[in-house]
Amino acid sequence: MPVVTFDKKYLMSLLPSDMTEEELKSQTYKLGFEVERINKEEISIEITPNRPDLYSAVGLARALKNFMHKSKRFVYEIKDETPAFSINVGKEVASVRPFISAIAAYGLDFSNESLAELINFTEKLCETYGRSRKKIAIGLHDLGQIEPPLHYNAYKDEKYMPLNDNQERSFSEILKTTDKGAKYGYTIDGGNRYPALKDNHGVLSFIPILNSERTRVTARTKSMLIDITGMHGDSVNKTADLLGSIFMDMGAEVRKVEINYTGKTIVTPVMGSRYISIPLQMAEGEIGVKIGYNNIISLANKMGYEAALIGKDIKFRIPSYRMDIINDQDVVEDIAIGYGYDYIRPVPILASQKGELEGRELLLEKASEAMVGMGFYEVLNTYLTNEETNFEKMGIKDAAGFLSKKNADYVRLKNAKAQSITMMRTWILPSLLKNIGISTHEKMPQKLFELDMAFHVSKKAPIEEYHLAGVCADPRSNFNNIKSVIDSLSYVLNLYLKVEQYENESFVKGRCARIMLDKEMIGFFGEIHPQVLGNFGIEEPTSAFEINLNPIVTD
Amino acid sequence: MHKYEAALLKSLKKGRQITLDEALKDTGLGREELLWAIENLSARASIEAKKGEVENVELSKEGITYARSKMPEELLLEKAQKGKLYPSSLKSKEEQIGFQWAKKKNLVAINNGAIELTPEGQKSLKTGVAEGNALRALEKDPNKYFSLMESGKEAILNLMRRGLITIKKKNAIQWIRATDKGLGELQSEPGTEQIDALNKNIIMNKSWKGKEFKPYDVTLNVEREPVAMRHPVRLMIRRIQDIYLSLGFKQTSGPIIEPAFWVFDSLFVPQDHPARELQDTYYLSNPETVSLAKEKSVDLIKKAHLESWKGDWSTEVAEQALLRTHTTNISVRNIRAILDGMANGKGGYQLPIKLFSVGRVFRNENIDYRHLTDFYQHEGIVIGNNLTFANLFEILISIYKPLGLEIKFKPAYFPFVEPGVEFYAYSEKTKEFIEMGGAGIIRREITGVPRKNITVLAWGPGLERIMLLKDPGIKSVTELYNNDIGWLRKRRMV
Repeated sequence: MPVVTFDKKYLMSLLPSDMTEEELKSQTYKLGFEVERINKEEISIEITPNRPDLYSAVGLARALKNFMHKSKRFVYEIKDETPAFSINVGKEVASVRPFISAIAAYGLDFSNESLAELINFTEKLCETYGRSRKKIAIGLHDLGQIEPPLHYNAYKDEKYMPLNDNQERSFSEILKTTDKGAKYGYTIDGGNRYPALKDNHGVLSFIPILNSERTRVTARTKSMLIDITGMHGDSVNKTADLLGSIFMDMGAEVRKVEINYTGKTIVTPVMGSRYISIPLQMAEGEIGVKIGYNNIISLANKMGYEAALIGKDIKFRIPSYRMDIINDQDVVEDIAIGYGYDYIRPVPILASQKGELEGRELLLEKASEAMVGMGFYEVLNTYLTNEETNFEKMGIKDAAGFLSKKNADYVRLKNAKAQSITMMRTWILPSLLKNIGISTHEKMPQKLFELDMAFHVSKKAPIEEYHLAGVCADPRSNFNNIKSVIDSLSYVLNLYLKVEQYENESFVKGRCARIMLDKEMIGFFGEIHPQVLGNFGIEEPTSAFEINLNPIVTD
Repeated sequence: MHKYEAALLKSLKKGRQITLDEALKDTGLGREELLWAIENLSARASIEAKKGEVENVELSKEGITYARSKMPEELLLEKAQKGKLYPSSLKSKEEQIGFQWAKKKNLVAINNGAIELTPEGQKSLKTGVAEGNALRALEKDPNKYFSLMESGKEAILNLMRRGLITIKKKNAIQWIRATDKGLGELQSEPGTEQIDALNKNIIMNKSWKGKEFKPYDVTLNVEREPVAMRHPVRLMIRRIQDIYLSLGFKQTSGPIIEPAFWVFDSLFVPQDHPARELQDTYYLSNPETVSLAKEKSVDLIKKAHLESWKGDWSTEVAEQALLRTHTTNISVRNIRAILDGMANGKGGYQLPIKLFSVGRVFRNENIDYRHLTDFYQHEGIVIGNNLTFANLFEILISIYKPLGLEIKFKPAYFPFVEPGVEFYAYSEKTKEFIEMGGAGIIRREITGVPRKNITVLAWGPGLERIMLLKDPGIKSVTELYNNDIGWLRKRRMV
C-alpha cells in the first residue's frame, strides 16, 4: 500500500490553524488511513490505492477539512468551456501511447514547498496509480515558454535539450544513457518511433521519459501546462479531472484544453456533473444503522459530496476528483465512514444453524491422534521446495521413475524471489528429513510426522493430495520399528493395508516395502539409505514411511 | 548409606580437605558417581563442598607443540653447543625467538660474533629451562599449575606472556571436606545392606523382607519425559474451527493451485492491479495455465471488468496458473456455486448460508527470519437476505471473543468489498493494536445479483498473527515453521 510522505509544515499550513498533530492522526485514522511516522519535518501516511486524490497534500487537506465540517467546497467545475488552446494528436502515436489529456493553469503563486509537494504528488501518482508511468504519466511545463498549438505524436529520433542537461540529446540516446530512460523506456519499447509533445519551437517533452529544459517549472512559474498521457484513456481523462481540482484548490484559474484526435475532438479536463441517487432506506439497510434524512446530507458533506433530498432518494453529486466511485456501493461506504465505524453497533444475525466439518476431517484427525499416541511430534513445513531437496538429496535420480509414472510430472514455479524455491513438494519425507537434520544434537529417539499436502501434475492438471509421513531417528531404529507403526495405523484406522517387497532409491535395498490398498500402491516405508542420511546431515539410523491418503479420505 | 557416599566419606576420614581430582583418585569412583555422592552428602550436610571460581590452565596450540618437543631456547642451546653459531645464520623464526629468550635469560653471550653458552646456559642444557619444564609438567597434568605457581611463578608468568598457556576461570568445586556429622555417619553406619532398584526377583521371592530401601533424594533433577504433541499452528487451526462450528458455520475448502481467474478476476481485481505482480504472487511454469473452458461465470466477470475498469480483459491473463494469495478463492467459488444454483432454480438452499475455511496462502517473499512464503488464513462468508455491515461487525467480534481478543474497526479498501473494513486486536505483549485482517460486503459486480436480493458478508484474516498475540513464547512467525525438535519439545500446551 502506498505510503506518502508530506512536508509537515506545508500540510499543516493547509489545515485549520488550531489543528494539533494528535487531532490530525485521529481524523486521518477515522477516514481510514494510518499515520505511519511523524517527525519534525515530515509526516508519512499509508493511503489505500483507491484514493490517489489523497496522495496530494492539497487533496488530503481538502478531505480532512470536509470531514471536520471546516470547508463547504464540494463542486469543482469549469464554467468557461472555451479551450485555452489545442493539442493535435497525430496518427503514429496511436500504437505507442494513444491517449492524452491536458490542463492549462493560470495565476499560480508557488512557494518552494508547494511546488516541491506538487512534483512529489505527480511522481507518486505516476508510480502507483500510473503503474510506473505506463498506464498514465504526467508532465508539468511552464506555459509562458510554450507557443501553441501543440502536437502529440510518435516521431523519428531527434534531438532536444532535456531537463537538467546542458546539451542536446536524441531520444534514443536518452533511453540508453539516462536513469529515467532506463527506468521508463519499457513503456514505449519496440519500434523506432518516440512519443513526444511539441510546440512551434520544438520538443517540450519526450513522453513519458523526460521533459525539456526550456519549459522547466520553478517557483516563479505563473502559468502551467499539465499533460497526462497513457495507455488507458479513461484513466488519462480522470487524472486530468483530479489534477484540475487540485489546481483549483491551490487558487489557480484552470482552463480546458482541446484534444484533436483523428476524427474526434474532446475537451479536458471534463470535470462534469455525475450523480448517484440512493434511497435513504437502502443506505441505512446496508450499513445497519438508523441515520435519518436530517443527518445524511451532513454525512455526505463530511465526505465531500454535495447532496440533496429528492423524494425518498438522496442525490449525491460525485466530486470530480473521486476516481474510485463506481456505483452506489462506494457511496454507501463513504456514508458509513462519515457515520464512524466506531459508532456502528454490532447486530447479531438471528438464525441458528448447525456447524459442520467436511467429511475428510474426521479421518485426518484420527490419523494424527494415532501418530501422537505413538510418540510422534507433529510438524508443519512449507509446501515449497527445490529439485535438490525433493529428488537429488533423496537419491531419486530420475523424477520420471519416482513412485509411479502417473506422478512423474510435478508443479514448477516460474518466478520465486527466493532461489531455493523452484517447485512444490511431491512428498513430505524430504521435509521431515530436513527437520531431523537440523536437530542432531537433540536427544534420541526423534520421531516426527506431518499430515498435509503434496502436489503433482497429471495430464497437465495440478493434483493436490493429502499425505501422511513419519520418520524415526534412533540408534535402534530399523525396518521393523517402522513396520509396527504402519501395522498399528492400519489396525486402529481400520484400513486393511497390505505390505509387499519394494525398491526405492531413498531406502536401503531389501529393507523397503510398499503399502497396498486393494490393488493400488498408496505408500511405502523402510530404512532410509545411509547416503540419503548423509545428504541431510543425519547421524543416526532413520526409518520412515509416507502414505497418500487421498484414496482413503472421502469428502 | 550408598556405597559411593561411603567411599567418599572414607577418603575424607582424617578430616582433610581435598580437591575433586584428589577425591577421584582416592575413591576410585567415576566422575559422575563422585558428583552424585557429593551432591547427596552435601544436601544432608555430611560434607562441605566449597564451590567457587577455579583457575584452569589451557595450553595453546604452540604451547602443546613446544611441550611435546622442546622450547625454542632449548633447541638453540643444543645447536650452539654443537658448533659455531652466528646470529646472522639464524634463519627460522623459531630460532630467532629461541635466541632472543636465551639472551634475555643470560643463557648465551656473544663472543667474537659467535653465540656461546654461559655457565648458566650449560646448566640449563642438562636440566632444561624453567619454562620448558613447567610447560611439559602442565601438559601432563594441568593441576600442577597450583604447585608451580608457588615454586616457579616467574616461569608460569613468562609462559602466559608468550601466549603458550592461558588461564581460564570456571565455576567448580574447589575442595571438599567431611563435617562432624559426616564423620559420625561413617562410624555409626558401616554399610547395612539396602535395596536399591526393585526388580522382579526381589518381589517374587520376597527378599525385601527385613531389609531397608535406599532412600532417594526426591528433590534431585530428572530429565523431562518428552510429550508428543500436535503442532501449535494445528492446535490454533482446530481452535478456530471449533469457534466457527459453534457459530453455525459449515467447513469448505478449495484448490491451492488456481487460475488467476479465481484468485483475482472473480474478485474484481483489475488485470493491471499491483497485487497480481510477479513480486507478490507465485506464478507457475508447470502447469502454466489452468483452462477456463468449463467455468460458467467467465462472461459475467468479463462484463463487470470491462464496464468498471474500461480497458481490456484477457482470458489469457485469467488462465495463468498461480498459488493462491488468499483463501478468498474458496469463498468466491462458493458464492458462484450457490448463487448460480439458486438462479437456476436448484432447491435446498436455506438462507443465511454460513461457510468457513482454513487454508494455506502464499506470498512471493525472500526467506528470512521475518518472512514466510506460506502461511494460514481463516476465511468466512455469510450469504443471506438483508444482511448489514453491523452484522459483519458482530460476527467478527464473536469469532475473536472466545480467543480473548477484543477487536476494533477501521475503514479500509479491498477491490472486492464495499464497504470494506480492517480490524485490529490489542496486544498485551506489545501494548498496541495489531492488524488482524480485512472484511467487507462483497461487491455486486462479483455476486452478479442486486444487493436487495442477496448480500454476502466476507472476511479473511491471518491465523499466525493470532498466535503471536496469544502465545507469549512465540517471538516471530517464522519460528513456528522451523520444526527444530528442541523447540517442539520445549513447547507448553497453551
